[in-house]
Amino acid sequence: MSAEILENLKKTIIEYDSEGAASWARKAVQEKIDPVKALDTMTAAIKQVGDGFARGELWLPELVGAADAMTSATPIIEEEIKRRGTKRESLGTVVIGTVYGDIHSIGKTMVAVLLTADGFVVNDLGINVTAENFVEGVKRYSPDILAMSALMTMTAPEQKKVIATLKKEGLRDKVKIMVGGGAITQEFADSIGADGYDPTAPGAVKLARRLIGK
Amino acid sequence: MALKGFTRNFKPLEILTEEEVEAIHRGTLEVLWVTGVMVGHERALKLFEKNGCMVNYDEMRVRIPPALVEECIRKAPSSFHAKARDCKNSLMVGNNTLYFGVAPGTQTVDLDTWKPRVATRKENYDSITVLDALPTVHFFSPYTPYFGFEGVPPCMAMLESLASRIRNSTKFQCVGFSNDSEIFAIKMAQAVGIEILGTCAMAPPLTIYRDAVESTFRFVEAGLPIRIISGQAMGGTAPATIAGGIVINNAEVIAGLVLAQLIKPGTRVLVKDFSSPMNMSTGAPAFGSIEACLHNAASNQIFRKYGVPIDNATCYPNSKMPDYQCGYEKTSRVLIAGLSGANTLLLHGSVHGELTHHTIQAILDDDLAGMIGRFMEGIAVNDETLAIDLIEEVGPIPGHFLNKEHTRKWWRLEQFVPKAADRLTYPEWMDTGKKSCLDYAKERMEEILATHKPTPLTPSQEGDVERILEEARKYYEERGLMSEEEMATYRESMKSPNYPYE
Repeated sequence: MSAEILENLKKTIIEYDSEGAASWARKAVQEKIDPVKALDTMTAAIKQVGDGFARGELWLPELVGAADAMTSATPIIEEEIKRRGTKRESLGTVVIGTVYGDIHSIGKTMVAVLLTADGFVVNDLGINVTAENFVEGVKRYSPDILAMSALMTMTAPEQKKVIATLKKEGLRDKVKIMVGGGAITQEFADSIGADGYDPTAPGAVKLARRLIGK
Repeated sequence: MALKGFTRNFKPLEILTEEEVEAIHRGTLEVLWVTGVMVGHERALKLFEKNGCMVNYDEMRVRIPPALVEECIRKAPSSFHAKARDCKNSLMVGNNTLYFGVAPGTQTVDLDTWKPRVATRKENYDSITVLDALPTVHFFSPYTPYFGFEGVPPCMAMLESLASRIRNSTKFQCVGFSNDSEIFAIKMAQAVGIEILGTCAMAPPLTIYRDAVESTFRFVEAGLPIRIISGQAMGGTAPATIAGGIVINNAEVIAGLVLAQLIKPGTRVLVKDFSSPMNMSTGAPAFGSIEACLHNAASNQIFRKYGVPIDNATCYPNSKMPDYQCGYEKTSRVLIAGLSGANTLLLHGSVHGELTHHTIQAILDDDLAGMIGRFMEGIAVNDETLAIDLIEEVGPIPGHFLNKEHTRKWWRLEQFVPKAADRLTYPEWMDTGKKSCLDYAKERMEEILATHKPTPLTPSQEGDVERILEEARKYYEERGLMSEEEMATYRESMKSPNYPYE
């Protein structure tokens, strides 16, 4: 039974089935399957999709479809992990979002998926995230890494504001900051005091590992 | 008389049947009425409601009835005049006239390493000088040539760009909006006695944010013409199908058109098709794709049925340098947009999407615009051009046409001679250093910079421009949009003896 549920959980993700993923996740909780094992299964599924994307066999619609399925099932499993008071091994925790004024989600979602596939626990704050909400996210999840995206030249300065707000709150040294997006360059990243920048999603995963020394 | 631009002297390219045009129009009306658009602006919501739209204030959703849509389309003029600093450069937009404009870039690009970098103030002003001299540059689009330049904080980029274009060119100017920049842009235009084309930017799918509505009110209430733009990526912010992409883009720009006509009936609007498929490996728009051409051609057919002037913009390449790919991407975009009825096109200078711009590229694009423009003019067919009598006079070999007066007169009228193309024979090419079009473009740039002197503003106009810039600087400083550090760098950059030109 347990193997069948996990198999279906994986299947729904690699078949981009959000409703199915949520329903199998609920079933996993009902059947008292180890939630850490369930989350590992889901991570393996997203890794499979991420690898397919890296090989050029799958494309963005598939990557985003799998990410949506994963996102619909994750809170259900995480809730159970929290209830049981167990801990899950992960490479590290990431809080990610697209900055305020910017509604471009794709690059950010790509990075979130590939980080998840690599073994990070990713908390995606979404798009149009204000500096206050980023700070809130850092307080709530105590991440190792804060990742910010900005596609537009006009919104890039918002990343600087987030860093300034973190400093004001005394949180800047508690988290590594990586930035990306169409409007960002290495020079810009340096100028605002970010810890790292990479122009591509796979590069962002390597960067994240480097930042936390793994 | 307004600038001539290029005239299309033959039937436009049509790729849809009448039934297909009707199906897309009906689809647009259905989307506007059933799904509606999100309008993030209280005053606009009330205006829509007052004119018979169904408004849900909680969702900020407006549903526009078909009768109102069609009435507003009728109210928009089919052609309009827009005044430039030199009245000979004013535009008469619409019908079968095609004007080319400058395309923007966030940064410039190094011609040896192809690495992007921020342009200097001097590069920005010099670039405008060259663009002012290029005959096929008919107007400047917003934030051209660069989004900003060295020393200028982001919040002042729009206005510094407009000021530099007003100073170094007498051609027609367009503007965007960012953090109330339009307030100062309108003042600047009024002070100099010109009209500017404003921007009403929809956010796909089916949304118009508060700032975009607010700036639309400001441009339209100032009596200025406005360009209505959405910017879909098919498969991302629009359906992956081209027909679905056209329906939703049409609904978005028509919603903007309705807004403009409700604010002030008869407002001059230019509707824009700025659509590309999404590159499914990076998520970026595939600006240089052939599907974008199909989208343009079909949208233009529908816009022509509506009788509103059309902008196609985005003759942007995905290539990173002026290479073979850049050439075919730009050529197919320009040719198909032109043939299918675009009235304005953004072309000159974009090297890679909207990310880089270079004057050398603009000079190459001057040749491209000249070629396509020549094609659009078509063929004159009359007794003199048919040349039957001349053919009879010359007869078979050894007769020839090179020594005829008819040839001396007509070849110049018939042939477009590109200025930066290599058309030499092999021996000539080897002997002159194997120059490419890039080398010729560099030579032309240097020649223009050495000889072309843009008409300066009068001292009183210059005083007004600088005063309005200063007013904007204070405005942004007070609102905390410029840090002390940014302001210090900015002020320092203004101390140059050749300010504002370098």
